Amino acid sequence: MASITLDNLGKVYPGGTRAVGDVNIDIADGEFIVLVGPSGCGKSTLLRMVAGLESISEGEVRIGDRVVNDVEPADRDIAMVFQNYALYPHMSVRQNLAYGLKNRGTPKAEIERRVKEAAEILQIGPFLDRKPRALSGGQRQRVAMGRAITREPAVFLFDEPLSNLDAKLRVAMRLEIKELQKRLRTTSIYVTHDQLEAMTLADRLVVLNGGRIEQIGTPLDVYRRPASTFVASFIGSPAMNLLDAKAVPHLPGTAHAGTIGIRPEDLSLAEDGLIEMNVMAVEELGAQRLVHGRTSGEAITIALPSDAPLGDTLKLGFDRKNLHLFSRDSGARID
Amino acid sequence: MIENRPGLTFLAHLVLIAGVLIVALPVWVAFVASTRGATDFMSGTIPMWPGPHLIENYSRMLDTGLSTSGTPPVGLMMFNSLVMALSIAIGKIAISMLSAFAIVYFRFPFRGLAFWCIFITLMLPVEVRIVPSFQVVAGLGLLNSYAGLSLPLIASATATFLFRQVFLTIPDELTEAARIDGAGPMKFFRDILLPLSRTNMAALFVILFIYGWNQYLWPLLITTDAQYYTIVAGIKRMADVVDGLPQWHLVMATAILAMLPPVAVVIGMQRLFVKGLVETEK
Ligand SMILES: Nc1ncnc2c1ncn2[C@@H]1O[C@H](COP(=O)(O)OP(=O)(O)O)[C@@H](O)[C@H]1O
Ligand SMILES: [Mg+2]
Repeated sequence: MASITLDNLGKVYPGGTRAVGDVNIDIADGEFIVLVGPSGCGKSTLLRMVAGLESISEGEVRIGDRVVNDVEPADRDIAMVFQNYALYPHMSVRQNLAYGLKNRGTPKAEIERRVKEAAEILQIGPFLDRKPRALSGGQRQRVAMGRAITREPAVFLFDEPLSNLDAKLRVAMRLEIKELQKRLRTTSIYVTHDQLEAMTLADRLVVLNGGRIEQIGTPLDVYRRPASTFVASFIGSPAMNLLDAKAVPHLPGTAHAGTIGIRPEDLSLAEDGLIEMNVMAVEELGAQRLVHGRTSGEAITIALPSDAPLGDTLKLGFDRKNLHLFSRDSGARID
Repeated sequence: MIENRPGLTFLAHLVLIAGVLIVALPVWVAFVASTRGATDFMSGTIPMWPGPHLIENYSRMLDTGLSTSGTPPVGLMMFNSLVMALSIAIGKIAISMLSAFAIVYFRFPFRGLAFWCIFITLMLPVEVRIVPSFQVVAGLGLLNSYAGLSLPLIASATATFLFRQVFLTIPDELTEAARIDGAGPMKFFRDILLPLSRTNMAALFVILFIYGWNQYLWPLLITTDAQYYTIVAGIKRMADVVDGLPQWHLVMATAILAMLPPVAVVIGMQRLFVKGLVETEK
């Protein structure tokens, strides 16, 4: 068990690419932190710096009270789960789970106990003597997690562990990971580009963009009060509508804003609606129907109940408190 | 491609059988010759069916050898060849695996230079550097020794490249997982790289063993003591008679014996060999 502090962390790759900069995060003991952002925003780099797989160019990583900048990965008391599982193909599941412990000189009986325990937790007991190639993707992912659990580390690091699984399995595993972390109370950092996965797993979200932190907060905080247009468009599905304030001048109380945001589910049909929308496409989702269109040249989407009436033009209303206002220059939230 | 037409099947078999016959005929002729008496070759026609002298010829070669040509018994020459071929194969695999390991996994100064130096040796096979190699070996006093027979042939750029390619196919994450699992470089080499390259090592072993066994020019050059003659060079010495006729029946018996170890290696390692060449999943 340990807290983690990232202090002004930065990474410049040889060759001059800046992947990460000015990252400050305080992670509490037992907390589940999710780093989320689009591909190439530096999530993996950040995680790998914590793991010790990538050298640190600026700032400090502390695990517990110890600065670990120059500590080997094996000595940082961490365990990592990789996207492609990274199981040793020539070892049985049992050997995969035991390998790290064996290298540490853990007594045989203790190794056996921990392997058995992890196998029970993850229900991989029946496969213990199989090679990874004889397992399905989901089973391999379990083994990869088992390998992390047997280590009983202070910190779990996950780099997109579910990305190689099919959609249904992903949802199931997501829940399991969450439960597992609740049960073990191990501080965890989890990287994903999937905002839904991030929302469901995180105690706190860290939204990254271009190697910088855009916002840190609980999933609901981030959803309800996105700190910038980037976060607003990234978190939530369907994405929030971002309208140029000049294009829709008739909304009251928005004079000082550059961009006005409103979530598709916060819009509704209204006779006296202020926004007039030309319908261009409709997506049926079953419970909902998403209507895409334009208002004053700006793209806009609205989520309607599946029995809502449709037409070529719709009049849309909203509640003033559901508007999000952002500055024109920086895209930052203004209240 | 799976075709199911009797005509094609027939044709395919015909071509294959013709191929086998063409390859097997010389071997058959050699075998027939090795079962004949000394005078059977004087008539001018090559006999095509085995004669009655099989046991006599072979036991003579294994026992005393062909003393008129100055070669020792075949057994000793085969042993020499075996030592040489094994040293070359194992030595090459060991050295090239370690160099590939260094090149792929370590960042050291002049790494690029080291890589290119190894690369350049591709252009310098034994035949090209035979005079300087001979001088060096002679200078080190290694003429007529097993070390002299095998050491100069051990360095191998080809095998280094092969292992480099093998190591490059091993995902970085696996290396990183091992690092997190507390495996230092040598432990990683032993526990992960070695087992993952097993089939490639086997395939290479087969190729290199045959390469070593078939060495001709180098052993001919550096062995003057019959104690260290290898079988392939020995056959040449037997066939080289100054006056009189070569003892073809005995030479052929030796040739057949010389073929056996490579054949045994190929058959024994066939499955691993094929796996090593076609396997891609790591
Ligand atoms: N080894 C490397 N050398 C140079 N640049 C790299 C290296 N690894 C990643 N990058 C760059 O750093 C940025 C962040 O990469 P990464 O952390 O892998 O992003 P993410 O995991 O969020 O998709 C990218 O622009 C990528 O091109
Ligand atoms: Mg990544």
